[in-house]
Amino acid sequence: MPRNVHIIFFLAVLFLLQPGNMFAGTVTDQVGRTLMVPENPQRVVALAPSITEIIYDLGQEDRLVGVTQYSTYPSEAQSLPRVGSYVRLDIEKIVALKPDLCLATKDGNPKHIVDKIVNLGIPVYVINPRNLQQIMDTVTGLGSLLHAEKAASKLVFEMEKRIGQVQERVKNEPSRPRVFFQIDAEPLFSAGTDTFIHELIELAGGINTTAGEVSYPRYTWEDIIVLQPEIVLISSMAGGLTPEYLLNSWKKWDLVSAVKNDRIFVVDAELFDRPTPRLVQGLEVIAAILHPELFVQDGKKTEE
Amino acid sequence: MSFSVSAGEFFVIIGPNGAGKTSLLKVLSGLLKAQKGSVAIKDKNILHYRRRNLSKIMAIVPQHIEVGFPFTVAETVIMGRTPHLGLLGMEGKYDFSVSEDAMKFTGVAHLADRKLFQLSGGELQRAIIARAICQEPEIILLDEPTTALDPAHQLKIMDLMEKFRRENGTTIIMVSHDLNLASMYGDRLLLLKNGRVAKTGTPGAVLQKKTLEESYGCRMHVDESPLGQVVRVTPIPDKYFPNQDKKNT
Amino acid sequence: MNTSIGKRILLITILLSALLILIGIIAIAAGSSGIHFWETLAIMAGKNGTDNATATIIWQIRLPRVILAAFVGGSLALGGLVFQALLRNPLAEPYILGISGGSAIGAILAMLLSLSYFPGVTIFSFTGSLLVLAFVTALAGTTLGNTMLSRDSLLLGGVMMNAFCAAVIMFLISMTRSFQVQHILYWLMGDLATMQKGQLPILLLVLPCFMIIFMLARPMNLLLLGRETAAAMGINVKNIVMLLLIITSLMVSIIVSLSGLIGFVGLVIPHIFRLLLGPDHRLLVPACLLGGASYLILCDLLARLLPSSGELPVGIITALIGAPLFIVLLLRNRT
Repeated sequence: MPRNVHIIFFLAVLFLLQPGNMFAGTVTDQVGRTLMVPENPQRVVALAPSITEIIYDLGQEDRLVGVTQYSTYPSEAQSLPRVGSYVRLDIEKIVALKPDLCLATKDGNPKHIVDKIVNLGIPVYVINPRNLQQIMDTVTGLGSLLHAEKAASKLVFEMEKRIGQVQERVKNEPSRPRVFFQIDAEPLFSAGTDTFIHELIELAGGINTTAGEVSYPRYTWEDIIVLQPEIVLISSMAGGLTPEYLLNSWKKWDLVSAVKNDRIFVVDAELFDRPTPRLVQGLEVIAAILHPELFVQDGKKTEE
Repeated sequence: MSFSVSAGEFFVIIGPNGAGKTSLLKVLSGLLKAQKGSVAIKDKNILHYRRRNLSKIMAIVPQHIEVGFPFTVAETVIMGRTPHLGLLGMEGKYDFSVSEDAMKFTGVAHLADRKLFQLSGGELQRAIIARAICQEPEIILLDEPTTALDPAHQLKIMDLMEKFRRENGTTIIMVSHDLNLASMYGDRLLLLKNGRVAKTGTPGAVLQKKTLEESYGCRMHVDESPLGQVVRVTPIPDKYFPNQDKKNT
Repeated sequence: MNTSIGKRILLITILLSALLILIGIIAIAAGSSGIHFWETLAIMAGKNGTDNATATIIWQIRLPRVILAAFVGGSLALGGLVFQALLRNPLAEPYILGISGGSAIGAILAMLLSLSYFPGVTIFSFTGSLLVLAFVTALAGTTLGNTMLSRDSLLLGGVMMNAFCAAVIMFLISMTRSFQVQHILYWLMGDLATMQKGQLPILLLVLPCFMIIFMLARPMNLLLLGRETAAAMGINVKNIVMLLLIITSLMVSIIVSLSGLIGFVGLVIPHIFRLLLGPDHRLLVPACLLGGASYLILCDLLARLLPSSGELPVGIITALIGAPLFIVLLLRNRT
């Protein structure tokens, strides 16, 4: 009915013409909470380094007024005010920044602090990416919150493309090397099934020898000998030790296939640590190591 | 066993180590429950008295006192007023005056602000007696009050108790190792052996040579003290009988 | 020595209350986002001239925290005082009968189950504390017949249970993921940042405990002379000991379940006031209560302000301040 359309159009214009930071309505975040968020967030506080990263990826860093202590990437983020570490948020500093939107992560942010922020009337959007697909959902969700839908969809497209490329190339590869990914040293820790690392290894055409229920299982050298991984990847942050030290710690176990064939590599922890688009780069690194003949990477493969 | 003590009596319990003197005193004071039988004060079973009312009648001077926490003499003595105060226990003028009188009586008034651990043995004993006096009791139980004291102080304590008894009609029940002090001050004695009453009666009746030797297991010499009208007991060391066999008891 | 004890109690209470209020105001005025002294006074006086963020920070973040610190500090100091009297042991502190072990295990289990601090962790930790306490007292012989709670048995039982619980705690920690370990560690070191509205009624539960303990102050004096002496002076030792034990244990358990294990307050504050005021518990009870409250508020303030970023666990500050302070007083009092 033409008359109804006019009224609706008129009301919509009235609504959109209202000044200030009107709430744009309700959204549902990644843990299923519905909340009211501002139309145009100008003072955003990111409560985890991964969130900071994504915001920069989306080009929306001008909205950021506060980040957590270890928001080190990109380096521009170092100059932003700190609000404590992501496991120990300083609520006073957060409130003092007068944010109109806080972005939190379920994995690590203390729930009682998040609840308190909500109780103080500040909207908190919680993300919870558990795999690559959900990271892309996070990017999309944040993109829509921050009016960066175009950048978000571009980023997601890029991610999907690169992931697809890797999958394509390893699709027909019959051999799937057995991989051990060391994330911590003294004692050894690896990654179980419910981790990004597992997903990346599997996508890159490898087998995660430490797949299992425990997310970060502990291993002894004895277990490793039984496990017989063909390839060992070591996170550069394992135990806070130097790459030389980490590599040497493996050298004496030449019973292990990976040691015998000299297929032990230290990889940049930052590409595997955080639930951000950089994981795709990590995927490419793993793929190049697992199937060097299939991937030509310039300078991406870390030397021993 | 069964015995009674009259009001205002100076009653001394003697006997060898391990006879159960301290236990008997604890039973008398209600701190230990008698396995069989009962204790009555003024015809009322002490277990039927409420604790607080009992301590208005009966005070105890123990053998040892812990001086761990730094209370002063005055603070310690006035604790004797507890049975007469309420739970919150604010002392009033009367309580302070009773306390001061008690300290004067036992001669520790000049030590009022000293901490307990700064006192000598005799001074400490007198402070505790002052505390007992503050309870305004009708009966005072003392557990070997003179054992660690020198002769002068021993006499002082005994004289204090005697004086207090005379002035107030208080019953004194004392456990003692010193047979001569018991003889000099006691109206009646009770000789305890192996948890049983060996004999009760006046000092003259109880302090008999045969009775004592049987109970204590050593040679005793009993005679009349040069002070007159008082039984004197002298334990005899073996060296005075070098040639004879020890008489078996 | 005839200055009425009542007057002295009143004097101490007024002085320390004034101190408490002063320290409280300073602690509310200062925080990690800056010092807002005049704004605090203005807000307290009811004026609304300040901007919303500061008002929110002061009312909703700092004030609850200071209130929690006051209750926790006072209760812990009082708990230490009572246990030192009950056990006649100057090394006694509020956790000595196993409360620390039991409550920690409860809290850790709750955190491993991903329960929220309130009410989840609180309930678990309170329950854990009571279970261990019940066990320790049963061990020491609670039959309300002739056996009195032997203080040596209580001490031994408590120390052993704490040691056992510590082993269990180590085991549980070794099984957890890294960020959970952090949460656990912060709880173990004491955390005053978790104050929520729903906790206020629980905090108020400790107020009657304060009253009861104050009324039992005089019997506590007598207990120090030995149980037999106390009995001889008319104290119903069995009942008083049971009552003090139960009330104080409840009080400390409630507090620990809200704030984690903050150490040193219960050990040091009673000694400090005993050195300053003497051993009469009628003075010491209000002194420890108010003094402990002020002390913890101060320590928490320092914990928040000292580090350039983040905050120190408040238990570290209480130890760093408490120990030297105590040594100084001890040396002074040697003469």
